[in-house]
Amino acid sequence: MIAGATETVAFGQRTVDVPAASWVAAATAARDERGLDCFDWLSAVDELDRFDVVLAVYSVSPLTRVRLRTRVDRDEPRLASVTGVFAGAAWHERETHEMFGIDFDGHPGPAPLLLPDGFSGHPLRKDFVLAARVAKAWPGEKEPGGVAARRRVRPPGVPEGWADE
Amino acid sequence: MSEIPPRSRGVIALLESNCTSCMLCVRECPDWCITLESHQETVEVPGGRPRQRNVLDRFAIDFALCMYCGICVEVCPFDALFWSPAYDYAAGDIAGLTHERDQLGEWLGSLPPPEPEPGSQRPPG
Repeated sequence: MIAGATETVAFGQRTVDVPAASWVAAATAARDERGLDCFDWLSAVDELDRFDVVLAVYSVSPLTRVRLRTRVDRDEPRLASVTGVFAGAAWHERETHEMFGIDFDGHPGPAPLLLPDGFSGHPLRKDFVLAARVAKAWPGEKEPGGVAARRRVRPPGVPEGWADE
Repeated sequence: MSEIPPRSRGVIALLESNCTSCMLCVRECPDWCITLESHQETVEVPGGRPRQRNVLDRFAIDFALCMYCGICVEVCPFDALFWSPAYDYAAGDIAGLTHERDQLGEWLGSLPPPEPEPGSQRPPG
C-alpha cells in the first residue's frame, strides 16, 4: 500500500490517486502486488492549475482495470518515468512530453514522437492557441436573419481573448 | 444497407421547412463545420401587424470536418436535423464533402422509419 494513496470509484472506473513522489512505487505495486501487469496507456490532463498524469493498467484474468493518477506542478512539470516498470509506457511518455511539456525523469529517449521537427509549443495544453481556430472565422458569429448582433457571441470552449490576438 | 443498424450515424439530413435559422447548431458545433446564412423578411399577417421571419439562404455541413458527435441534431429545438445511416458519399476531392442544403435535404429520403414510442402496442411502420 502506498502512503497517501486514495482510491475512488466513479462511473465504474477505479482510480487511485498517489503522491508524485511515490509514482514509480505505485506502478510497481500495481503490477507486482495487485496483478495489474498489463499496461494500457499513459497520458495527462491539463487542469489549468496543475497537470494530472494518468496511468491505466489492467489484469487480464480476472479482468480488472485501474487508473493511477498523480498531480504534477504546472510551473515545473516533471515526474519520474515508469518505463522501468512498464516498457510500453515509453512511447506514451514521449507523447505526453511533447503534448503537455511534462519531463519524465529517467526516460531512455524522450524525443518527440508525433510532432514534426521544429514544432514549438505543447498542443494539448489548454492555453495553446489552435492555428485552425485563428485562421478560420467562427461561423456562429452570424446572427439569425443576418441582423446586427446585440452583443458579441463567443464560441463555446474558446477562452476570452484567445482568437483576438 | 439492410445490415446497418437504423440508428447508425452515417450522414445528417436537413428538413428545411423546420429550420428557423436560429444558429444554435452552428454555435454548438465543436468542429465549426456548419455554415448558415439567412436574411429577414417581413410577412403580412391578415388582420395583424406584419411579422419578421428568418429566411434560409445557405445551410452547409462540411463532412470533412464533422466528427459525427450529433450535438447539432440534439440541440436543434425544431427537429430540423436528423441522423441517417446512409454512408456512401465518398468524394474525389475535399470540397465534395461539403453538402449544401439541397443535398442535405435529399438525405431525408434515406431516413429509417421512426422507432415506436416505448411501451407502444402497435408494431412499427
